[in-house]
Amino acid sequence: MSEPKIVGFLCNWCGYAGADLAGTSRLSYPTNIRIIRVMCSGRVEPAFILEALERGADGVLVAGCHPGDCHYRFGNQYAEKRVEKLTKILDLLGVGSDRLRLEWISAAEGEKFASVIKDFTEKLRMAGPTPLKIQNKAQPARPTKNESIHAILKRTKALYCQECGKCSSSCPITRIYPVASPRLAVEKALMGLEQSVLVDKGLWSCLTCYLCRQRCPVDIEYDEFIRTCRAKATAQGVTGDCAHEGTLLAISRIMANPKVKQNRLGWVPKKAKIAKKGEILYFVGCLPYFDVVFDDIGVKNIEIAQGMIKILNEAEISPVLLENEKCCGHDLSFAGDLETLRELAKMNMAAIKKSGVSKVVTTCPECYRTLKLDYPELVRGPHPEVLHASEFLAELIKEEKIKFPGKFDKKVSYQDPCRLGRHMGVYEPPREVMTSIPGLELVEMKRNRENALCCGVSAWMSCGRHSKQIQIERLTEAKKTAADLLITACPKCQIHLNCAMSEKLPVKSEQIEIETCDLSLLVARAMNLMPTPT
Amino acid sequence: MSEKTSVLVIGGGIAGMQASLDLGGRGFQVYLLEETPSIGGRMAQLDKTFPTMDCSICILAPKMIECFRHPNIKLLTYSELKEVSGSAGNFKVKILQKARCVDESKCTGCGVCAEHCPTEVPNEFDMGLGMRKAIYMPMPQAVPRCMTVDKDNCLKCRLCTKVCKAGAINLDQQPEEVELNVGAIVVATGFNQYNPSEIKEYGYGRHKNVLTALEFERWVCASGPVGGHLIRPSDGRIPKRIVFIQCVGSRSLKFGSPFCSSVCCMYATKEALIIREHDPHVEVFIFYNELRAFGKGFQEFVNRARDEWGVKYIRSRPGEIVEDPTTTSLTIWYDDTATREIKSLSDVDLVVLCSALVPRVGNKKLAGIMGVELDEFGFFKVRHPLLTPVDTNVAGIFACGYCQAPKDIPDSVAQASAAAARAAETIALTRGVEGA
Repeated sequence: MSEPKIVGFLCNWCGYAGADLAGTSRLSYPTNIRIIRVMCSGRVEPAFILEALERGADGVLVAGCHPGDCHYRFGNQYAEKRVEKLTKILDLLGVGSDRLRLEWISAAEGEKFASVIKDFTEKLRMAGPTPLKIQNKAQPARPTKNESIHAILKRTKALYCQECGKCSSSCPITRIYPVASPRLAVEKALMGLEQSVLVDKGLWSCLTCYLCRQRCPVDIEYDEFIRTCRAKATAQGVTGDCAHEGTLLAISRIMANPKVKQNRLGWVPKKAKIAKKGEILYFVGCLPYFDVVFDDIGVKNIEIAQGMIKILNEAEISPVLLENEKCCGHDLSFAGDLETLRELAKMNMAAIKKSGVSKVVTTCPECYRTLKLDYPELVRGPHPEVLHASEFLAELIKEEKIKFPGKFDKKVSYQDPCRLGRHMGVYEPPREVMTSIPGLELVEMKRNRENALCCGVSAWMSCGRHSKQIQIERLTEAKKTAADLLITACPKCQIHLNCAMSEKLPVKSEQIEIETCDLSLLVARAMNLMPTPT
Repeated sequence: MSEKTSVLVIGGGIAGMQASLDLGGRGFQVYLLEETPSIGGRMAQLDKTFPTMDCSICILAPKMIECFRHPNIKLLTYSELKEVSGSAGNFKVKILQKARCVDESKCTGCGVCAEHCPTEVPNEFDMGLGMRKAIYMPMPQAVPRCMTVDKDNCLKCRLCTKVCKAGAINLDQQPEEVELNVGAIVVATGFNQYNPSEIKEYGYGRHKNVLTALEFERWVCASGPVGGHLIRPSDGRIPKRIVFIQCVGSRSLKFGSPFCSSVCCMYATKEALIIREHDPHVEVFIFYNELRAFGKGFQEFVNRARDEWGVKYIRSRPGEIVEDPTTTSLTIWYDDTATREIKSLSDVDLVVLCSALVPRVGNKKLAGIMGVELDEFGFFKVRHPLLTPVDTNVAGIFACGYCQAPKDIPDSVAQASAAAARAAETIALTRGVEGA
């Protein structure tokens, strides 16, 4: 059996000094640790830890100063919060939280350091090698399609470009950050300046929100153009700046590992009826993970799934849930990792096929788009019918399979998610669902349906100044409708908009603060299946 | 005159009229079929024509009258084609004359009946911007000069019957079917304007100050809904800034049509000049993609607009039109492709969308009746675009004007003469060697 490998992120002032003391004191401890010195344990991003595990570490140690002793006042507290979240994530992923350890080791505790390493090595030896270790495979994944830029232009109809500038003057990013422009990207590619397109930072700012494609008179597939160009750029080693340092993309990537057996159904309400085989499958998506990662910005993502299960049960449907459902691969693919999308598609489709369902319902529009649009391209059929929750709920309401017990007196506005609206053309079902709730009043924002403004972030790429500016704009618009609630049909819109509200932005909070709620959860609340917060 | 020496012309626009006059002048009997109550067509709706800036109706009305008075031309207005059988030289044609409820031979067109009619509906001739009564004449210069009762909207109150001094009105008139025997058919049905409300970002139908080009023609026309005053539709204020957007629905693979409508660049320039003539203080912008000024005197016309009249040309297709809900003024977002800057033009009072001109919706039905082929867009297909530019796949049936491909007025007129010549040839052959 091979020896376990530990990556240790040690803070300069305490952990590292402690290790130093252990050395100068000639204490003996196992040689399994590889030390990376950081200035503070607060510098250790969750993404670093995940990447260490992805690249074959069996365990990760984060060591910092004792509480109260941080040389940067609160760095270690941040580290504690992050590790706590990541522990939950590792449990969900089935990787095991015992592979991650946070220890407070002061400069005087050489002995403690030695004993921690001894103990950790022992425990890891018992646990066995990490399931994440990938043999004979490079990371990050490379796109398989080595399409030439001209072929991309042809496939995405960009050769028809009239250079009219309708796309760029529509783009919410270009208006703020003119360097990133759909027209310029296509124009450069048309001029044969391939490298210029691929190394351009603007390539990673695109939200692939489809607004340009919606308006483009010749229907250039900008979303696909950007996605493929990103894959090409990644193959050259150029990547964008991922939000959260790529933590969320790393989680998706880890799921693509066939050895990973997730432990993801802990959220299912006790009395809920679920099945292993049946007609209808509920594809939960990454909600259990988001619930952990974003619990501090006031979004309880898992309630969406819990509400959905309860609604389905109420309609006398026991949905199939996949025990080892993987990420759909949407975000990875739009971040340029087409290969992992393919892997995920294969695994998910095999599991879906095995369950024997004919319909798949998703609460996330990105899963919806990917399962409905991308999977048939990647995996051979037959493919089940894919429905977004809004479509399925609208059907159930029409068939009177679900009913609302009383009035739900709320004024709401609706954020059209770009994947659901412009990408897939689903505009009316969510509205039908909302307006069928008695007492509920729907007021539209100024820009709605085809013209809706994106929530500002996509595929966990390039969250920054532009995103915040777009979010302020959108939330101000929502606020102007005087609605009590802003309904979204995409868990990610909710996350991104709530994130903006939880940050210090150069606007007054009363100008943008509005309660948000997912469409499925709204229905569950209106049916009294989920508690309405007061 | 033998029936075999007669021709049916479908469509009473400038092309149909020209073909009729040519054929009539050669001594053939012409039946000019028109769907609406008056001949005149699209050209009658225009305020002026490019590049000569002639008043449109002023040069058209004499031709309309000529058609009406011509001994060899019989007008069949307010009528529809129902059936065609037979072949070149001997077509049997069934035509439905809708009930006009007014006797053409008695009506003087005095309009007293309309003054008394209690029902008002949007006037189709004014693109729905102005109103007309249920008994109406679509325009002052209508030919035949005769009122028409719109049966769908008529209340049958019979006030009109009481006030008509000529006793021309008979509300119980029934539609009539006419059977004709003709030697050839000329199709000249023109075009429809694409409804740009599908292009959501421009807000047509939502923003009051966004008009289509044909609506704008009526809007600034002296005989139009506001008497030719240049005002904003939303509140009647005098506009200070007017914008034209080219290629709305044309050259598009998604909405409207993939082809170029071929006249928009020029009529936008013409309309810009009309505006500057009305009020030299109004700023006019034309957002274009490629300025297609290809005809005789066209480029000079554009140059004059730019240099002498101060019309501002910007190469861009705007992304979005945003309305300020309090002032109803508009802001236009565009990418100035010359400088590569994203800009916005605010305080715009009026936006004119140069909407695609597309084949008529009715073409399919009409083609079915005649057994004629349409092309992929819905235009009447010609046998060979270079060598037989007006012949359809059915011998003896010819197509001219916009109904077979985009073109402007002079081209339509020229093509109408060509179709008339081809039709004459058909009849001459079938009747032997008598000569015209």
